[in-house]
Amino acid sequence: MPRRPKLPADLDPEESGPRLPAVSPPLEPGEPTDLELMQGIQQEDPEALSQLYDRYNGIIKALILRVVHNEAEADDLLQEIFMELWNQAKNFSAQKGKPLGWMVTLARRRAIDGLRKKQAYMRAGERLQNETEQQPDAWVHNATEEEINFTDTRMLIRKVINGLPLAQQQAIDLAFFHGMSQREIAANTNTPLGTVKTRLELGLKKIYDGLKELKDEL
Amino acid sequence: MNFDEFQNRARLYVIGALENGESQEFARARARFGQKAEDFIIECYQLHEAFALSLRPAKSSEALKERLMKMVRERKKSDGNTE
Repeated sequence: MPRRPKLPADLDPEESGPRLPAVSPPLEPGEPTDLELMQGIQQEDPEALSQLYDRYNGIIKALILRVVHNEAEADDLLQEIFMELWNQAKNFSAQKGKPLGWMVTLARRRAIDGLRKKQAYMRAGERLQNETEQQPDAWVHNATEEEINFTDTRMLIRKVINGLPLAQQQAIDLAFFHGMSQREIAANTNTPLGTVKTRLELGLKKIYDGLKELKDEL
Repeated sequence: MNFDEFQNRARLYVIGALENGESQEFARARARFGQKAEDFIIECYQLHEAFALSLRPAKSSEALKERLMKMVRERKKSDGNTE
């Protein structure tokens, strides 16, 4: 029987109302929340950064790899991103979102900047066609404790994403993981601009609505 | 632009997929809807978390973490010396 994820400790279900559910993985009892770790980093506690790194380095690196497709560059970027997180921690505000969201936004921006510098994104559409639904084999490794903690959450989110038509998944993938504009997606997929826009809007709405429904499963 | 249309645009905005012309229109609607718009945009950023969490975590070396923590401690020490 698969383990069902618990709600993260920093999510109060009574407060969540119609909002999207938090998608962070569950915490063990007594573990500091992401927000507590961010507050520790804001107070310049290296141990807090160490714990946040242990919790999310795998996810952040997977995100970077999805963009740059290069292990060495991904490692360099991972280090830069956590260093930036340390340096910019004072700019984080819990009122504007959750720590993971902030980290992912930071990581995505950095990774896409790196990708654009190389102009490798010109071949992203071709690369995408060669990728399978799952991660490439090179990303697969024996499950670590971190990965096991994320598995249930990942499976639920994948279920929502996989429910989209492939064309919508592809448009969102190119926009989010490759930083492409609607025009670039249209050019790379030989699709009319209006169709790309519709695919993005419909796909994102379905994911957004699907995440809301996940709240019940969580 | 009504609020439903704004919501569609907001989801594009958070993934950086608005075209130039749309960005200006979106900015005007964002200002017009005020706090309601800001709250919705914050909520949309959870799409970022979801996309990241949909990926299988990748493995990093212990050496990478050691380097990072060394840099952090050196930065903290250097910041302490300049204060």
